[in-house]
Amino acid sequence: MSSAGHLYLHTPFCGSRCGYCAFTVEVGVLDRRDAYTDALLAELAVEGERMGTLRTIYVGGGTPSLMGPERIARLLDALRPRCADDVEISMEANPETVDERSLAAYREAGITRVSLGVQSFQAGMLRVLDRQAGPEQAVAAVDAARGAGFESISVDLMFGVPGQTDELLDADLARALEMGVDHISWYELEIKPRTALERAGAALPDEDWAADAYERIVGSLEGAGYRWYETANFARPGHECRHSLGYWSADDYVGLGVGAVSTVNGRRWRNHAGVDAYIGTLSSGVPPTRSVEHLDEPTRRRERWMLALRRDEPMDMRWAGPPDHPEALERLVEGGLIDVDADHIALTRRGRFVQNAILRQLMEYA
Amino acid sequence: MSAVDQSHIRNFSIIAHIDHGKSTLADRILQITGAVSDREMREQVLDSMDLERERGITIKAQAVRVFYEASDGETYQLNLIDTPGHVDFCYEVSRSLAACEGALLVVDASQGIEAQTLANVYLAIEGDLELIPVLNKIDLPAADPELHGRAVADLIGGDPDDVLRISAKTGEGITEVLEAIVERIPPPAGDPDAPPRALIFDSVYDQYRGVVAFVRVVDGEFKKGDRLLAMQTKREVNAEEVGVMSPTMLPTESLRAGESGYMVTGLKAVGDLKVGDTLTAAKAPAETALAGYREVKPMVFCGLFPVDSDDYPDLRDALEKLSLNDASLVWEPETSQALGFGFRCGFLGLLHMDIIRERLEREYDLELLTTTPNVEYEVTTTAMEQLPVRSPVDMPPPTNIESIREPYVRCTILVPQDGVGAVMQLCQERRGSYVTMMPIEQRQQIVYDLPLAEIVTDFYDQLKSRTRGYASLDYELVGYRESPLVKLDILLSGDPVDALSMIVHKDMAFSRGKALVERLRETIPRQMFEVPIQAAIGGRIVARETVKAKRKDVLAKCYGGDISRKRKLLERQKEGKKRMKQVGSVEVPQEAFLSVLTLNTDDSKGK
Repeated sequence: MSSAGHLYLHTPFCGSRCGYCAFTVEVGVLDRRDAYTDALLAELAVEGERMGTLRTIYVGGGTPSLMGPERIARLLDALRPRCADDVEISMEANPETVDERSLAAYREAGITRVSLGVQSFQAGMLRVLDRQAGPEQAVAAVDAARGAGFESISVDLMFGVPGQTDELLDADLARALEMGVDHISWYELEIKPRTALERAGAALPDEDWAADAYERIVGSLEGAGYRWYETANFARPGHECRHSLGYWSADDYVGLGVGAVSTVNGRRWRNHAGVDAYIGTLSSGVPPTRSVEHLDEPTRRRERWMLALRRDEPMDMRWAGPPDHPEALERLVEGGLIDVDADHIALTRRGRFVQNAILRQLMEYA
Repeated sequence: MSAVDQSHIRNFSIIAHIDHGKSTLADRILQITGAVSDREMREQVLDSMDLERERGITIKAQAVRVFYEASDGETYQLNLIDTPGHVDFCYEVSRSLAACEGALLVVDASQGIEAQTLANVYLAIEGDLELIPVLNKIDLPAADPELHGRAVADLIGGDPDDVLRISAKTGEGITEVLEAIVERIPPPAGDPDAPPRALIFDSVYDQYRGVVAFVRVVDGEFKKGDRLLAMQTKREVNAEEVGVMSPTMLPTESLRAGESGYMVTGLKAVGDLKVGDTLTAAKAPAETALAGYREVKPMVFCGLFPVDSDDYPDLRDALEKLSLNDASLVWEPETSQALGFGFRCGFLGLLHMDIIRERLEREYDLELLTTTPNVEYEVTTTAMEQLPVRSPVDMPPPTNIESIREPYVRCTILVPQDGVGAVMQLCQERRGSYVTMMPIEQRQQIVYDLPLAEIVTDFYDQLKSRTRGYASLDYELVGYRESPLVKLDILLSGDPVDALSMIVHKDMAFSRGKALVERLRETIPRQMFEVPIQAAIGGRIVARETVKAKRKDVLAKCYGGDISRKRKLLERQKEGKKRMKQVGSVEVPQEAFLSVLTLNTDDSKGK
């Protein structure tokens, strides 16, 4: 493939920084939104040739819903000629920033799929995470999205939040199922360096609790008809996020915006952080400063294994390339962690819970 | 450099406990006598290796010559012969002392005498050395020169008024030390006209010049170009160069009776020239060698294995290089089922082992796995054969063993009165038998005979922690004794792991086995599969624990923006895995192989 069919747009603006957040976000510079939109369009003009017909677009952040429907519409209008007829256009939104009217406007602008950053339906958990929305707003946002006519609604949830008990987790599970959303991303909280949670010395739950929680989440959602189609993602059939599936299929993608990453033809580049610098360089038509990484074939092969084994579908080893340590396959099969069928490998249910350990057995990553 | 009359030579060394200021005092002496300019002055000039400086101990003895104009108007040649400061190097210390007529006994004015000092004081007294007692660090607020001065005088049978009070740090009293060296230490007594004899008290390997021997000339004279004979090993060498350390190598015409200096031999390994041997002229040799020579034998053994098996040749090269400079390091190839190819190495003691291991890791950039230290057992088989056993792996099956003998050491421990109980309890736990006890200063000197095997694990750490750091220890080998010993095997996932086997007293086998499997369960991380850990004696399982299978090990999320980062995270985890040793299907962290070391700490808990 010579040009990417997936586009990621990064919007860095946030009302506040959440306790667990280590992303490229900017707080308190909402006045740059128009200039930033111009800059994104300028980068699009510069990078346009790297894209083919777009099958998916993902507007992520930051808090994309702080951009407002007009700016999103400007962006999508510019992109429309490049899009396939059945293009999937996802956008992340924080519950406190949307209502049925604005969501309808986003949908009008071309967004087909909305992903709500709920994280938890429990007030206590939301406080620990420094989230702005309360549980009622989360519920209201889901209803609003439905009211605005979105046919694919996703929510993000978390487990392993400090203070989360079995009961609190069960409450989130029950509420998520009751809401009947189409797609759920349920992540284990990571405490990253330089986040408020890390500074506060927050402790992760012990391994057995986290394993229990994870198993319960997978079991409950599967029982309710969701497909566990990726390590942390669940969808009603037909509602899988095609953009994310692109990543997990090691497809090429272009990312526009501050901190955005692109990977095309074995070359990966990351735009540097800093909204003002980004706007500044692009205002004179110059691409933003970037770090570039060249991916050699062994690295690409190892990435294919790392990414594709996150999915529930068997991976074709003719496509991915051979493992570095084929001798480990047999032991993993005997141990009930993988199934190998001719050229295809799939993690068993148990194996999917220990994907890293399996990868370390099979691949070099050095 | 003009020759100095024998009556104007003083050979001396400094006896001190670690941290009592030996090196600082030596530096001060070099500085005051102008051997080292202030600009050249580095901290602790005599300790040439970083490792030594970090640990604050001196491993390699050297002889430095300085000239000092005394208050009597005469100029004296002072040869400061540095001594290693640790229990493992007792023989080397005795040879360094034998090269001297006197010694400075340096004691920290706030801490008093330690067991190590005591041992060396006895060595010096046995060697008939003139001891000059020096209280150092009198500038410290905690200094108690009255108390410790009396104790030091008592110890060496002198007058408290003769105890010098100095601060090597500030320079106070250093001149008095130099005057005392000139006044109190007798000049060398050798015969300058007799056939030449020189005591080798140390040697180093120089990659360009070969082995450089540090010698004290007792009789006669040695010149550059002389053909020499080492009287014990019967080896002949050429004195390619003779000279003195001033403090760097300075060639001289000759070395004469009473002087200390170096001789360049061109030999390829320090092992070719034994410390304690006597050099004489090959053509007209002296009749008798100098007394005190002894073959140095390693006391402690352990397996050293490269974590990455590709490093095996590098490890061999490194051991060869270290051996060039360390005659007491012995090693031979060893193959472990668990750890692959490596070497079984013999050391003088635990510190020696630590130093070698650290140098291999630091200077040669090797990642090593060290097995539990062992002593050498003497096994008599049922066929009445004598078998030396340096590794549990070599222990014959129990049915073939008639008896096992193990090395015992006599331990001298100095401890304040309130620590006596703790020390005695520790010695009892470690199969010690009480010998005697007597007060020294305001402390008790406790003497126990203990199996060396009980010392080579964490005895010293335990001693320190149970006495809040106040106890000090010295030991010497007293011979072999028969003991009821058994081999304790450890099985991981049903397979015995040879590197985790240990030889223990049969009464302790059960509790050690139990403690060891518990420790291993804590040390071995969860794996993809459940790992049973068992302890067995002669095939009988005596303890069992299980490491549960890992249940969750995933990257929480992975999207386009963080693929590289997540890949690198896996690389780092893989790096972590490299620090593990794959033993069969089990990944065992390096600490696991050392967990055996600290096992004894659990004994007291269990009782």
